[in-house]
Amino acid sequence: MEMAEQIESTVREVGARVRPQLDDAKKRLTSLNSNVTDYIKENPGRCLIGAIAIGFLVGKIARRV
Amino acid sequence: MRRMVGMETSEQKPANGHGGNEASWVNDSAHKAWDRTRGAVAELKRAAAIEERVNRNPYGSIAAALGIGYVLGGGIFTPLTSKIVALGLRIGIRLAVLPMLKDEISVLADALGGEGEAGEAGKGRRGSKAAKPSGER
Repeated sequence: MEMAEQIESTVREVGARVRPQLDDAKKRLTSLNSNVTDYIKENPGRCLIGAIAIGFLVGKIARRV
Repeated sequence: MRRMVGMETSEQKPANGHGGNEASWVNDSAHKAWDRTRGAVAELKRAAAIEERVNRNPYGSIAAALGIGYVLGGGIFTPLTSKIVALGLRIGIRLAVLPMLKDEISVLADALGGEGEAGEAGKGRRGSKAAKPSGER
């Protein structure tokens, strides 16, 4: 029983330590996602042409390899 | 000052002559071509509803553009494509088949469990029936 309590307390401590970092990472990822989405929505032509160009280059490289 | 005025007039002279007409014609045709291109692009945008699609699904449209570029670059019949397709098929089959297998196994387990319980209950009944007479005896 003591062992189980110890494991539980350790898990709680680790969770308490890691949770703020996880929340921070989540916030950052959310803001990054919204920034990227906004940029794509603001400049659709540029993004699509860039994506086509990147795909073209990848296709060329894949053909050569 | 006089020199500058002279230079300006000497530079402007060809513009009024035959060369100037050609230059203006080229300029006009370039403007027309640019306007037509812009119009065609705007019409294409309107016809394909690109902006609407990008607004609805930005990542999907970018992925589609990447795919179009990849195909245009000649990457469709390459080992990389076969690897990507094989990986996609593997993941897709796993995602599609595993839930089905899970359901089947759970149904089978339920059926087997039900049979087992019924069997045990039957045995118990038989045992009790058998035990009664022996106990009575």
